[in-house]
Amino acid sequence: MVHEDYNEMLPAQALNALDAEDARAAEAHLQTCAECRALLREWEDTAAALAFAALQEKPLEPSPRVRERILEAIRVDARESGHGGRSDANQAERANVISLPQKRQTRWTAAQTWGAIAAGLVFLALLASLFVLWRENRQARQELARLANQVQDAERQLISQREAIEVVAAPGARVAELTGTSVMPNAHATIAYDRSGRAVLLAKGMPPPPAGKAYQLWFLAGGKALPGKVFSTDASGAGTLSDQLPAEALKAVGFAITLEPESGVQSPTLPIYLSSGS
Amino acid sequence: MSFGVQPEQAQLADVELLHAVARGDEGALARLYDHYRVILFGLLARILNSREEAEDVLQEVFLQVWRRAADFDEKRGRPFTWLVTLARSRAIDRLRLLAARQRLAVSAARDAKDETSDAVADAWHAEQREIMAQALAELPEEQRRTLKLAYFDGLTQSEIAVKLSTPLGTVKTRMRSGMIKLRELLGDQMKTLR
Repeated sequence: MVHEDYNEMLPAQALNALDAEDARAAEAHLQTCAECRALLREWEDTAAALAFAALQEKPLEPSPRVRERILEAIRVDARESGHGGRSDANQAERANVISLPQKRQTRWTAAQTWGAIAAGLVFLALLASLFVLWRENRQARQELARLANQVQDAERQLISQREAIEVVAAPGARVAELTGTSVMPNAHATIAYDRSGRAVLLAKGMPPPPAGKAYQLWFLAGGKALPGKVFSTDASGAGTLSDQLPAEALKAVGFAITLEPESGVQSPTLPIYLSSGS
Repeated sequence: MSFGVQPEQAQLADVELLHAVARGDEGALARLYDHYRVILFGLLARILNSREEAEDVLQEVFLQVWRRAADFDEKRGRPFTWLVTLARSRAIDRLRLLAARQRLAVSAARDAKDETSDAVADAWHAEQREIMAQALAELPEEQRRTLKLAYFDGLTQSEIAVKLSTPLGTVKTRMRSGMIKLRELLGDQMKTLR
């Protein structure tokens, strides 16, 4: 755009009627063009005169209270700022021109202040209830996990008991008793196995093994100790294990239990905790 | 008949009053208020169409005059223009705020009673009003309407084009022609405007 284009925009600019984009362009041009600034001032006088078109035949008067309120307010203002009108006469080039976008009131009314305080309180309350919900949710999850574990334990127990029953009920099933040695005199276990070698061990009176340790079952056959699986016991001293007898142990077998590293070993570590006696 | 019974020394007096306000002179602000309350209140009531809102904004305007009087520079404009422009922009801001709140301002202003006591001021206002009314009457209807929508309703050129279902270019031309004609009609009377 050239100077003449801006020149044509000035009457509308004086009415604050330019659309945002035009207004920005006009403002930018005015910064650099003294002639247009002078012309704009004249147009603003014409625009201001339109205020008379708003007067009614018998002009309206504001209530006398408005005058009182204004004078009261400036006294408060004067006390707060130490003086009255601002004297930092920082006179920008177009200080006398008040354009709409510049007029943003930044002071808060009492209602806005209370509104902000109320909003803050509501926000805090929401935050607090959110925290409570989160905590309750976490507790519920923990409870759920605990119950799920219990169910899993119960299921595992049920399965091994069913297996034990199946094994015991199978034709040709045999049962061996294991008793605690002097290391663990109160321990006792029963092992049942069928002809196929499927075996189930039920143990009692065996304290839970220390961390990193487990009980391991041994099959004694042909003068050798063949490794079985490892198992653990619970706080009540009970434990179960399903295992499979090695082929060479099917005909004649003895059983022993030792305490070993939890991954199990290939040859037993003494002492023996339980044995089938013979 | 000149546009403004109160001549140029009144304008000078207003400049002095604004300077005094800038120095913190409360009495000067009270005098400015007494001079301008009727014209500014009339404008605010016309724009806001509510006596209550107009009084509220009038108070805001004079508080701003109190705080910003130091910004006024007589070399860059007349006190009258400065005050009217300030009041109008405040009123348009308020109008937008009210529109945003979906609160439709209602009529109070129209039937409000007035208690003008100063007969001289009364006569002066009546005269200015008459001059402006005559000037506006000489404008073609569509130009007059365009100017009023911009000035009293705070609409931009595009908004006016939409409201009147008129091409934007036509609105621009009407606004510009209307302003040029108005300035011609007011002529020298503008200079003594206060």
